[in-house]
Amino acid sequence: MEQLVRFEPGLMIWTWITFFIVMGILARKAWGPMIEALDKRQADIRTALDAADRARAESEQLETKYQEQLQASRKEGQKVLNDARAAAEKLRIELEEAARKKSADLVAKARDQIVVERDQALREIRATVVDLSLSIAGKVVERNLTTQDNRKLVEESLRQIGEA
Amino acid sequence: MKMAAEEHSENVGAVILHHVSNSEALVPLQLWGVDLSITKHVIMLWIAGAVIITAFLIGARPYRRGTVRVPSGFTNFLEAVVDFVHNQIVVPYVGRQSARSWSPYILALFTLIVTANLLGLIPFFDLIPGSGTSTGNVNVTAALAVMTFMAIIVAGSREHGVIGHWKNLAPPGVPWPVLFILIPIELLGMFVRPFALTMRLAANMTAGHIAMLAILAPIFLLANPWIGIGSVALNVGISFLEIIVALVQAYVFALLSAVFIGAAIHPEH
Repeated sequence: MEQLVRFEPGLMIWTWITFFIVMGILARKAWGPMIEALDKRQADIRTALDAADRARAESEQLETKYQEQLQASRKEGQKVLNDARAAAEKLRIELEEAARKKSADLVAKARDQIVVERDQALREIRATVVDLSLSIAGKVVERNLTTQDNRKLVEESLRQIGEA
Repeated sequence: MKMAAEEHSENVGAVILHHVSNSEALVPLQLWGVDLSITKHVIMLWIAGAVIITAFLIGARPYRRGTVRVPSGFTNFLEAVVDFVHNQIVVPYVGRQSARSWSPYILALFTLIVTANLLGLIPFFDLIPGSGTSTGNVNVTAALAVMTFMAIIVAGSREHGVIGHWKNLAPPGVPWPVLFILIPIELLGMFVRPFALTMRLAANMTAGHIAMLAILAPIFLLANPWIGIGSVALNVGISFLEIIVALVQAYVFALLSAVFIGAAIHPEH
């Protein structure tokens, strides 16, 4: 049994030597860089996740903003269209009204003109007829002639009128 | 036949003991009055150390160059070990501030113990007489535990100063009569902890081997080869158990060392 718990100071010293050689070499050449890489990766992942979260929040915010803008511009467009339609309708009615009024005016004016012209023409015709009748009558009276002569005279007068 | 069995029965205890004990000096060596002879356990420790150093020097090459983005294969395995010890043992129990300074120590403990434990399970090393499990030797585990004992004092003194560390034996706010009981208990605890580490590891490593040898013994004691079927089947099962024990005991030694160091740094817990 004493074999199992024999005190071996040499083995303890060899254990320490082996341990410190392993720790000394690997702490510097392996574990240090590995732990550094692990910590760095942890930090990197954390930063990347944070960045991703931030980017997502940002894009969501942008999306809502765009959505709102789109909604607003759609409404605006609708309003513009409606306004334009109303304005056009109003303009059409106005123009129609104006045209109708103008044409009515024109017709009325033309009618007045015609009346004036007709009256004038009648007045002139009347005066000419009077003149002609007087001149014919004078001529008939001046030459108290035969019936044949009278007829001739009248015909001549009439021709004169026709020529005039 | 009967003669052989009787002969074995007288020796079986000695045979088992021989198989779980260190060899005699293979290379006798005396330096400054100390017996530094190379025994089998020294060689097994060297092999364990060489295996770890080789593995990590090769595996950590990309880390030294700083070219690691996503580790793969063997490097990934080594990184998992380092990550496990650093992030599952050292950071939670020693604390993040001191983790960088204590991770190499705990890593060296864990890797050296686990490798030495597993090497002891490989029958090939039985070609040299004696036990192949250096961590089954109390001198090896005691040497490791003494380092943890020192590490606890170093960690406490670095954090609180030499006097501050010893003052932490008596927690503040305790009524003074209690200190008469508490301080002796704490002082005792200082030595009990490394002693427990020593015994736990050595006993666990040795016990498995003794059990396996004892299960094989009836074959020779009863001189009946048929018993071998049962013995071997049972030992296959125990071998799997031994692998688990090898891993768990290395983990326990490393974990408790980290816990004790952490307790010295954060005595309030």
